[in-house]
Amino acid sequence: MPEYLTRKDKRKIESYSRLGEDMILGEVVIDRDRCNGCGLCVGACAASAIEMVDKKARMVEDFPACISCGDCVAICPEDAIKMTTFIEFKRYFRYIDRGKPEPPRKF
Amino acid sequence: MSEEIEAMEEEETKLKPPESGDPFNETEDVIYRRRSVRFYKKKQVPEYLVRRILEAGRFAPSAGNAQAWKFIVFQDQKMIEDMTEDVINVCKRVMKFTDYIDSGIKWKEWNAKLAMRFMSNMFHPIPFGAMKLIAEGKLGVWHGAPTVILFLTDMRCPGNPVLDIGIAGQNMVLTAHSYGLGTCWVSFCTPLGMLPRWKKRLGIRYPYKLVTSIAVGYPRGNPDGYVSRETQAIDWFVEDGTCKVVY
Repeated sequence: MPEYLTRKDKRKIESYSRLGEDMILGEVVIDRDRCNGCGLCVGACAASAIEMVDKKARMVEDFPACISCGDCVAICPEDAIKMTTFIEFKRYFRYIDRGKPEPPRKF
Repeated sequence: MSEEIEAMEEEETKLKPPESGDPFNETEDVIYRRRSVRFYKKKQVPEYLVRRILEAGRFAPSAGNAQAWKFIVFQDQKMIEDMTEDVINVCKRVMKFTDYIDSGIKWKEWNAKLAMRFMSNMFHPIPFGAMKLIAEGKLGVWHGAPTVILFLTDMRCPGNPVLDIGIAGQNMVLTAHSYGLGTCWVSFCTPLGMLPRWKKRLGIRYPYKLVTSIAVGYPRGNPDGYVSRETQAIDWFVEDGTCKVVY
């Protein structure tokens, strides 16, 4: 049965500045050995969460606003990127009625 | 005209549903592989391709066949730059009052919370983060795409004309991706509909309303591909009247 927000949830809107508590940002893991430094993922990122350091891509250290769209995973020619954490909110903006991540399925 | 349609119909073959577990057909493949593209080549999209994409929008379903859309195509780089600059300025102005991320200023946080309550769609943390990045110049608006298509809707149309724009737009986006082009939905263009300069220049006035836009261009690299995505709960009332939840 569907989940709902209560009136209390509606009143309580947090500012979403406390990372890890009010907001869990998406995360990707980049295999440094496979990365060839082409920089496509940096251009593809919707949230400027990836940067190039020493010709290797890595996630921005302070506030990587990753929205786990998967654009970097799809564009990487070396398949070096994997999504590990999906973006999540707490309280008012929390995602409801969601299941586990899956690739496109053939039923 | 009818001869033309007859000739086209003779060519078409009858479509059949797949067997269970069959590989994806071409249409499904385009849908599943479509990724938003934010990294474009400078090469301009030829006019005939843009016309073909617009044609796909023209044949989209709409409430009462009212065709509630108006498209504006930009291929003038100077104009796209000007629009980008104005969007950046608007974002900067909004951030001046509501930037709560590591600003440490209490009244900005209060403003942001108030805005979240009354405009919870616009001030959702995700568009808010994007607005901050645009204001700081870290994220482009149209990401350097050579062609931009603006979607206007005729607000007098039946039902929910904004929804019709979404349907037409998705037709166009999927068509573009089937040609190997890249697209990205950009709704940060909406402030242009409030600036007098652009309202006058683009003719955005009643009954027209600026809804959204897409960037079109040749992508750098090969951005289209399969990714994982969260599943959503689907309530399914089966034949005996009970409800099951599938993911």
